[in-house]
Amino acid sequence: MGKKIEIHDFEPKIMAFVCKWCTYSGADLAGTSRMDYSPNVRMIRLPCSGRIDPQFMIKAFEQGADGVFVSGCHPGDCHYNEGNYYARRRNTTFRQLLDFNGIDIERIEFSWISAAEAIKWTEVIDAFTDKVRELGRHPQYNDDIVDPYAQFLVQKKQESA
Amino acid sequence: MIEEIRNQARQLLENGEVDVVIGYAEGSDPSRTTPIFVRKAEDVEKLIYDSRCINSLPIYLNKRHEYTRKGWKKSAIIGKGCDIRAIVQLIAENQLKRDEVYILGVPCEGVVSHPDKWDGSLHDGNRASKCTGCDVMTPHETDFFPGEKPEVDRSKPYEVTSPKVANLMELELDKRFAFWRTDFDRCFKCYACREVCPHCSCNVCITDETTPSWIDPAAHKKGIFSWHLTRAMHLVGRCTGCGECTRACPMDIQVDLFNQRMKEVVQESYSYKPGYSLEDKHPLITYKVDDREDFIK
Repeated sequence: MGKKIEIHDFEPKIMAFVCKWCTYSGADLAGTSRMDYSPNVRMIRLPCSGRIDPQFMIKAFEQGADGVFVSGCHPGDCHYNEGNYYARRRNTTFRQLLDFNGIDIERIEFSWISAAEAIKWTEVIDAFTDKVRELGRHPQYNDDIVDPYAQFLVQKKQESA
Repeated sequence: MIEEIRNQARQLLENGEVDVVIGYAEGSDPSRTTPIFVRKAEDVEKLIYDSRCINSLPIYLNKRHEYTRKGWKKSAIIGKGCDIRAIVQLIAENQLKRDEVYILGVPCEGVVSHPDKWDGSLHDGNRASKCTGCDVMTPHETDFFPGEKPEVDRSKPYEVTSPKVANLMELELDKRFAFWRTDFDRCFKCYACREVCPHCSCNVCITDETTPSWIDPAAHKKGIFSWHLTRAMHLVGRCTGCGECTRACPMDIQVDLFNQRMKEVVQESYSYKPGYSLEDKHPLITYKVDDREDFIK
């Protein structure tokens, strides 16, 4: 019943910032329904998509994520009435900002997924993982932001070996 | 023109209507001017205004600064159009009350881009890029204005004044990234762009927070992109385009290109121009049900 397991050279790291009322429950439903979806995604549950500060996404990229996924309730369904409307405006501008900086906005995905849309969740995550896998590692940004302390530790380890 | 401003400032100080007049005075050399706080009526002769007056004075009205905690109830401020835009934006964001400030508007002919380029007169070679296409050379919100205030049409959309923004947008993604990478190579996170900004109002800046440390404070490359993206993101829909961040940058990084691009985006998406209305909320703290969502899956 499960999907065929494929082996790839590169497995992207994908951070997902999700709303606890809709998308997290949707992903939960996918799990309890024994659906398969790409294991590359690392989820962080937040109270609302309006809580998702662009700072989180910037930090995720800085820490080596290859793609960032943002998701919340459909417009009109927000548990706090209006949080996802703010999220929508924020992401509209944030994407343009990243684009102006020369960071591929294909690496950011925004999606409305409700608690009942487990199938949509698996589809969107699989498609996004494939897209990021094709784009490859996020070289431009990652090369610049390698942590000097981590580099030092690696170097020390190599020397002692 | 400056005589009328001086007379008005003298009157305000003598009547006790304001506690301080913030303006410009002659600086350390002929090409420079410096901000001055006039508290005595006899000192108003020090006030000047011409094209060398490039500093943005509204930062002294921002609550982040200690000047605002000196117990001054009301300040008068000499404002050129772009500074008055910043004041209006501060009022719209509830950082300042309209009756706490007395705006002495000046007619402006543009300012120099940098004091070093001043050669005695203002011409196309040394005019700041923000002054082309400026629609507030006659200021829009004033308490006092020398002479008659002509009507100006300010309904036109925001115009990107630096040609570099359009040039960058034409480049491919990788080239654009390479441009910023070489530019940001020089950045050592002195945060002059933050200190000089009239709209950075946080008491504790996100870069100064340590638990958690969002942006790496060390002067290596890590965190430089984060810092510039964060700064630009915090100013989306709020930046009034005084261009002080670029002028203050000791490494000549053109950080205001980000702000200009974002102003363009905000204008396209939400038809909002910051700094023109005392009441309108900036676009990221409000919403419409039918906002564009073409990027959402």
